[in-house]
Amino acid sequence: MTPRHHLDEATIVGYAAGALPTALAVVAAAHLSICRKCRESLRDAEAIGGLLLAQQQAPAVPSTTAREAILAQLSTAQQDPSRKDYEPVRANDPDALPAPLHRYFGPTFSALRWRMVAPGVHRIRATQITNGNLMLLRIGPGKSVPMHSHQGNELTMVLRGSYVDALGHFSPGDVADLDCDITHQPITSPGLACICVAATDAPLRFDSWAARMVQPLIKL
Amino acid sequence: MKVTPLEAKRRVSTTANQSVFDARYWSNQMIAVAQRRDINGFMHIYDYFAPRLQRYLVGLGVNEALGQELVQEAMLRLWRRADLFDPTRASLSTWLFRIARNLYLDHVRSEPTWLPIQEGVAWMDEQEVCMSESMTESYTDQAKLKQAISELSPVQARLVRMSYFEAKSHSEIAQALGMPLGSVKSHLRRAFCKLQSSMRAMP
Repeated sequence: MTPRHHLDEATIVGYAAGALPTALAVVAAAHLSICRKCRESLRDAEAIGGLLLAQQQAPAVPSTTAREAILAQLSTAQQDPSRKDYEPVRANDPDALPAPLHRYFGPTFSALRWRMVAPGVHRIRATQITNGNLMLLRIGPGKSVPMHSHQGNELTMVLRGSYVDALGHFSPGDVADLDCDITHQPITSPGLACICVAATDAPLRFDSWAARMVQPLIKL
Repeated sequence: MKVTPLEAKRRVSTTANQSVFDARYWSNQMIAVAQRRDINGFMHIYDYFAPRLQRYLVGLGVNEALGQELVQEAMLRLWRRADLFDPTRASLSTWLFRIARNLYLDHVRSEPTWLPIQEGVAWMDEQEVCMSESMTESYTDQAKLKQAISELSPVQARLVRMSYFEAKSHSEIAQALGMPLGSVKSHLRRAFCKLQSSMRAMP
């Protein structure tokens, strides 16, 4: 999977700085987990953070107390075992969700419990997120999602199927990194339902956002 | 890559102010820590970076006492995981920045999901063979990056600082400065691209 639509550089900076609302950070991590190009950019953004950290003006030396405290701990501190291995990404398993989504939605597509919110539109909301909104959306093939603009940021990654809008064709792995300046009208491709993970950072506006997306579909 | 105390001292004295920004100098200190469990090398790193980590964390809104705790924790991690340090992949300051940022997200923002996700992404990153283009931290780069940071426009520099030093989201920055969200993102995008190209430019 080599994505053609990537994270906005501003989003990568936010991720590196620890400044992204959690919901957006989860979608960003899902894309990072399959996109080498964005991982390289992340490394650059972290290098900027490292240099900014090193360049700060700071008081000359730590206090004697702090120095003594850390020295005392060095002798007793065990060396960590080398990095534990993470479960290898099951890149070849078509049923596996990207690893960063597992905690919120479980590990596989087949175990997802969808809720219908409109004919042809299903949704699962992540409940543990307090900072922004995170959800999976499944939109039936060949459906037009009404023209909408965004309040705040919206980050969407296609997991299955695809859609087309004015910004191009979005296939699995691609992200649409949108802010309020953008109005678009995605149309899902025929044949396969389009499954996306979407995050917004405007918690109070979530319901209106979902309603705007879904309402005209109900009228279809 | 052994650095004797004498060499280290000479490096410090001959390069004066430059040395503290010299990634190679700190990498060598770190390698001594990893290979020989060199306490002096460690304390040298500690004396320089601990106050800066403290300042960074307090800037993010962490109170002084918790900040001190997290700094000690970050430095202990450095000591315990020294063998994982790979100077061809990241400078010491970047390594410490990641540790401190992760501690902040973990302890202060209470985002228990961040760390496993972040470590997973970092782990994948480590599995990859370094492409020459992505070796952003080769030793000459930091000087160019430093230069490029100093050449950012005032508004770009401000947004970069608000992102890194205050961990403000794009929407929070937009609100704080009364600037459209789209402009915040495009300023940050342009700033990042400038800094990135400075790092990737051929020597």
